[in-house]
Amino acid sequence: KERTDIKLKMPPAVYERVVVKNSPVYQYMKVSLVLEKAQTKLTAVEFKHLITTGLKSLYGEVGAAFPFDLLTFEEDTLTAVLRIYSRGLVRLWSSLTLLGFFQQQRCAFRVLQVSRTSSYTL
Amino acid sequence: MSLFMDLNLPFTADKKRLKTLLETAAHLGFSTVAINYVHKAQSKGKQEIPKPTPLDQLVDELPIVQGRSRPIKILNRLTILVTDTNHYRTNAAEYKAYDILAVHPTTEKLFHAACMTFDVDIICITITERLPFFFKRAPINAARERGVMFEVCYAAAIRDSTMRRYTLTNGLALVERNNGKNVIISSGTDKALELRGPYDVANLAQLFGMSEAEAKDGVSSNCRSVLLHAETRKTASGIIYTVKTPKDTEPKETDTDTISMVTDEPPSAKKRKTSAETDTDTVSMVTDEPPSAKKQKTSAS
Repeated sequence: KERTDIKLKMPPAVYERVVVKNSPVYQYMKVSLVLEKAQTKLTAVEFKHLITTGLKSLYGEVGAAFPFDLLTFEEDTLTAVLRIYSRGLVRLWSSLTLLGFFQQQRCAFRVLQVSRTSSYTL
Repeated sequence: MSLFMDLNLPFTADKKRLKTLLETAAHLGFSTVAINYVHKAQSKGKQEIPKPTPLDQLVDELPIVQGRSRPIKILNRLTILVTDTNHYRTNAAEYKAYDILAVHPTTEKLFHAACMTFDVDIICITITERLPFFFKRAPINAARERGVMFEVCYAAAIRDSTMRRYTLTNGLALVERNNGKNVIISSGTDKALELRGPYDVANLAQLFGMSEAEAKDGVSSNCRSVLLHAETRKTASGIIYTVKTPKDTEPKETDTDTISMVTDEPPSAKKRKTSAETDTDTVSMVTDEPPSAKKQKTSAS
């Protein structure tokens, strides 16, 4: 009897199941930038420019022209949410992986999350 | 769920650097890493193969792997840079100190020999310069049948754009020949900022022309089969192995170990041990024989 009581008291489940039937238009990535000198500050524009430079060095002009968006950017943690067309995910991700330098100092992109729905990455 | 591994972290004597490297690897989600000792074989003179530094001297505390709440597993790996066929010696005693054995062939002839005959676990692919030869299907298929993996390192691709081109070219050439089946991707860097997470590496491997599943295998299950292959190299087909037990120090403990290995009835063996000590002595003599016999052989030859 006690056990059923406990069950009743439990709050309703908070998770939500999302089924995407067609291949999604966008993919969302949550990335953070790790720099050698932790004090370095970046603006959102510089951050996006860095990513575009990475795309250009790996894929050339066509790669750099592929549209992607910087949805959010936190300057103190250097964490951002990117939105990219699904077809361009592999290209964007690989260029982030191979990006090793920012203004002559070492850097690394840590991909924290990749999702096809924005509500979970944000 | 598969475990992620990075089987190439070059050895550095700098303990602090190695510590940050291991911590980063654990944080990124690699549950097994191998510390790589490179041996450049030379034709002239006596060659000293480096001995692996014991792990307890390298790290004080093993970092916890993110998401698994378990300490990281560290292995030792030897890579021999061969420039001549006799640089690789079959069954050399020095190789036994290492968990994984790899060769880095520099010519086509050596690559062929490494794929066909060398008893190794990994064959490294040159990534810092143009391939000195073309990959041929016959040796690559033979290597696949023997369970030998090919390794591509990605760290050089992060460092420099020319190296990046060579890494991609050679990786593409390799995957073109073996259809991405037995390839492992590892870092090969001693800097923490050049390490990448397992999913990043899997995504990067797709640039070599591997499919998503093959790319993920390249950082997980193929690495696991390298470890299993390494086990079989140490033992007789992974079934039986012999351990040389020290005779003088703590004879009782070692004796019980050897007995349980030899006979299938540990309780009865224990009984015997309590009844008479002479019995245990004879048993330990028998089990001690194979290693010593091997030793004599090697010294004679």
